Amino acid sequence: MYFAGVDIGSTMTKIVLTETNHTVLSAIKGPTGPEHRQLANEVMKMALEQANLQLDEISYVVATGYGRLNVPFADRQITELTCHARGVSSLFPNVETAIDIGGQDAKCMKINNGKMIDFVMNDKCAAGTGRFLEIIAATLGVKVEELGDISLKSTKKVQISSLCTIFAQQEVVTRLSDGENLEDIIAGLHDALASRVTGLARRLKIEPDVVLTGGVAKNVGIVKAMRENLGCELFIPEEPLITGALGAAILAKEYSVKAVSKGEPSPTKVRRLEKATFFK
Amino acid sequence: MAWFVGIDIGSAYSKGVITKENELFGYYLMLSGGNYRTTADRIRQELLKKANLSQDDIANTVSTGSGAGNVYFASQKVSDIVCTARGINSVFPSARIVIEVAGQSTKVMRIDEQGLVANFVVSEKCAAGSGWFVEVIANVLRIDLEDFGPLSLESKAPVAFSTGCAVFGESEAITRVAEGIAKEDIAAGVNKALADKISSMAKKIKLEGPCVICGGGALNIGLIKAVEHELNVQLLVAPQPQITAALGAALLARKEVQGHA
Repeated sequence: MYFAGVDIGSTMTKIVLTETNHTVLSAIKGPTGPEHRQLANEVMKMALEQANLQLDEISYVVATGYGRLNVPFADRQITELTCHARGVSSLFPNVETAIDIGGQDAKCMKINNGKMIDFVMNDKCAAGTGRFLEIIAATLGVKVEELGDISLKSTKKVQISSLCTIFAQQEVVTRLSDGENLEDIIAGLHDALASRVTGLARRLKIEPDVVLTGGVAKNVGIVKAMRENLGCELFIPEEPLITGALGAAILAKEYSVKAVSKGEPSPTKVRRLEKATFFK
Repeated sequence: MAWFVGIDIGSAYSKGVITKENELFGYYLMLSGGNYRTTADRIRQELLKKANLSQDDIANTVSTGSGAGNVYFASQKVSDIVCTARGINSVFPSARIVIEVAGQSTKVMRIDEQGLVANFVVSEKCAAGSGWFVEVIANVLRIDLEDFGPLSLESKAPVAFSTGCAVFGESEAITRVAEGIAKEDIAAGVNKALADKISSMAKKIKLEGPCVICGGGALNIGLIKAVEHELNVQLLVAPQPQITAALGAALLARKEVQGHA
């Protein structure tokens, strides 16, 4: 049997297809973009192609992420917190604290035996999210993927005092005109972001193992800055973007198994990759 | 008769005021730009030109604002809160509450009958609580800043902004434009969001007595109406609201020399 987890994030759309024993058959991601309400279909098509499957062969689909209501072929919607917690603990069974820095939010979850027991979240302010890095990268004329490697060359990071993304952007322009090095400024920005996220996470008790996920975890400079700010070892999944989708796929299997054991018929919904109409 | 100069180097605009004794004689306003020293020089020249004076005719100069340290010819730097309070007191002696909406900060202060600051709250950590937010959204809507206020007053259904962040607010505004929401409803929504922030600050200060609004934000009639609505007060609007702190600085320059205001 096959299962799918679809995670429609603010910035990226992620899909994971699994087989009964949680083997990942395909994991696809694409930029959510302005047309995200119709993107789920396309990414699903790509994922199915990669796994050499048809949509009919998928037993159960769970959608998550802030766009989870826009997945017309989903059987169930589950919040991204639950899915992240499940996805992370499948990869790191000893995880107690999971920090996720996404494109437009950051969250910290306390996990016990694979279940989320508490969380804190920031989705109200761009500082401390991937958006902060995108805006600063654009200001510096650097690709966001390059920030991490550049920052590692820094020998003395520049202190960035502004909390607000917009004020930090102006501060960066001033620091550049002061003649500070690009790598030192970027290292300072990473530290500013890490200290903000750590401040959020500290509202919960941070206990090992600590896992960092989300697109921002792909930035080696952020990982370094997070380790320094947290003062502890930090585990990063091989592909930190897809933990939410992976958790959704795992939950899809559990819901499917539960339905079968209760003797309920498996979803009879005729699956089609149709246009989402939720917002129309 | 002696002449005095006050110069306020702000994050967005810099302002200069020249007074003849304690009477406002002229003022000059320009973008702060990248070199505050040059800006300070330029303001001084323009003020002298207006009054047809030379530098030797100026008895004293006081500087204020975030770039006050760059006004190398000033006798002293004074906090912009003190200067704004002084400036407002000279225009509205009865004013007890001052709301200043500037480019990168918002301040609410309580002042006494002598124009001294009794209490204040400042928001300067977040662009969503400052005039900057209005500039960002005006840019999204492609309207001139001076049209923002009048346009917003035409709105019948202001949009609600779900975030307190100027970055996310900008994205929300773009989404609303794409959805075909009228510009005036978006502009009114921004003024309401900002008025909400100002009113939650103002509530930390005891709101008693006549209330004045100044700073560049006081040029936005939509914001004034929104704040009046939120606080349920009638606001006095400072004439030339952007030069209040510079005026206060000039008055303090006079006080420093003559020992009285």
